[in-house]
Amino acid sequence: MILNAILNGILYGGILALLAIGLNLMFGVVQIVHFFYGQLLMIGLYIIYLLVVGMHIPFFLACLIAVATVVAVNLLSHLMVVNPLLKAPLINQFLAMAAVMVILENLCLVIFGATYKGIPIILPILKIATIYIPISRLIAFVGSMFFAGLIYLFLKKTYIGLAIQAVSQDREIASFMAINQRLIYIITMALGAALAGITAAFFVPIYSVHPDFGGPFTVISFVIVVLGGMGNLPGGFLAAFIIGTVTMIFSTLLSSEFGAISAYLLFLLIIIVRPQGLLGIRART
Amino acid sequence: MNLQRNVLLKKSLLLLILILIILFPLLSPSPYLTHISILILIWSSISTAWSYMGRFGMVSLCHGAFIGIAAYITAILFNYYSLIPLVGMLIGLLAVIVVAGVSGYACFRFGIIGHYFAITTLVITELVSLVIIVCRDITGGRLGYTINSIGPLPLYKEIIYLQFVDKTGFYYLALVLLLLTLYIWRKIDKGKTMVGLTAIGDDEEASSCIGLNIVRYKTAMFVISAAITGVGGILYAQYTMYLNPITMVGAGASLSIVFKSILGGMFTLWGPTIGTLIIIAMEEYVRVFFGAEYIGWSIIGYGITIIILIIFFPQGIYGTLREVLSKRQKHRIY
Repeated sequence: MILNAILNGILYGGILALLAIGLNLMFGVVQIVHFFYGQLLMIGLYIIYLLVVGMHIPFFLACLIAVATVVAVNLLSHLMVVNPLLKAPLINQFLAMAAVMVILENLCLVIFGATYKGIPIILPILKIATIYIPISRLIAFVGSMFFAGLIYLFLKKTYIGLAIQAVSQDREIASFMAINQRLIYIITMALGAALAGITAAFFVPIYSVHPDFGGPFTVISFVIVVLGGMGNLPGGFLAAFIIGTVTMIFSTLLSSEFGAISAYLLFLLIIIVRPQGLLGIRART
Repeated sequence: MNLQRNVLLKKSLLLLILILIILFPLLSPSPYLTHISILILIWSSISTAWSYMGRFGMVSLCHGAFIGIAAYITAILFNYYSLIPLVGMLIGLLAVIVVAGVSGYACFRFGIIGHYFAITTLVITELVSLVIIVCRDITGGRLGYTINSIGPLPLYKEIIYLQFVDKTGFYYLALVLLLLTLYIWRKIDKGKTMVGLTAIGDDEEASSCIGLNIVRYKTAMFVISAAITGVGGILYAQYTMYLNPITMVGAGASLSIVFKSILGGMFTLWGPTIGTLIIIAMEEYVRVFFGAEYIGWSIIGYGITIIILIIFFPQGIYGTLREVLSKRQKHRIY
């Protein structure tokens, strides 16, 4: 059973890794606490549900539209909320983002109601010896790894990717290098939201969605990003697998709440020992 | 001469308002109004307590956790061991102080500031909320927890049990709490702590270089703020006789405290109180006149209001108002 839990945890960790990359990019580049990241995921799931169940649009097309919508929502909020506050004190940015979260959550509540909405896609469960692997999670894991690889290549091999990294490392120097910061911010926001949308597509067979769906995922993404070290993608990857495995082990042994509790406790312990994150480098202040 | 008369006028006006506030429950036309004003008083104290920290750049999102710890401990001790709430309250507060002290010390000692502090406190509040949900045999889980009622009692016993048949008793308790909170704010303002904390808020490294004990100052402020929040939480729980881990403890509850202070203006003495007054009045107005169906829309509206305020009036409603007024006054004097 433990082995089963560990395996499932690794699969779950892969999905979380993809989710965390998006947040990590936005956190590292735009330096803003993107408080409604989980809510973007939730919107993606709602859009897919609406399109597939309500309008009978093919699933893959629905996923594409959902990703586009999530990107649009994020860019809109970037232009209207983040941009005017880029130079504002931390607390103001933070609260404005939280306010966007409140708005998005209640918008979904008003439009879709408080009930659980899910698409009945039932995938078989793979059984190898005594280990059960849900195919849906396997697909999500493989897909996540694929997209994470794409992002990695994008960041390492293209000009825009390098520019994004440059901005996250040093804003001032990057602007000397003729990098248009505002444009990089917009690209990063779009990229981050797209990753949330893609994760939403993988989540469709696993979860059903409700208005409070996003909150825990925002928190867990932040936990992963901070654990891995801000702006540090390999660290985020490592942290995602650790958190995923721990969560799954404790939810199998005890109950799903204990999974989250153990992840949070682990976070609090690690942040005290290594405030800069597992693989992060940060000057102590 | 003119200035002196102005000050006198101001003081007498304040006194008049204070007398009106004190007499309010006796004059109040309906118990509903008293009920709303009790809510406003309790949440004002909590959001003022939050601003103790907030104005020095410490964005804490775990004040919901302090409400939860204090209120649940008091209620459970009363229900299971029939320990009187006045004593249970002390134990609950002790727990809050320990939690705030330990987590505050750990955060500040190891340099968790800014974004990191906010996220860490967010995790703490979610953790406390989840622990309350998990211990569902004792705490009732997601469904919430009801405090046993003891029926009508003589007045001195009502105070011991923190249960009043009449709302007036609660009104005065809440008023005392708010005045105490405001008094402590003043005390902080006048004391040496203020200078130290302002320096820390402006530049943490520089102030540690000139020999300020950052950790002690910040932890002390965190503990004071948490303790008052705990008292407010206990009062609120005793008043409504019901506790809920999601609406009172979780991240949403913590955020709503923060919103109240920001909306009013967390850098001013009266800001959080005014913010609370506006938000609670708005929520009640929507609830009464549009019904519960539209509660989602009202929250959307209030989210948009918050964003507009943060972008255009970062000082909050009262803060901006005071700035404008003081500018005008300056023109008049010179």
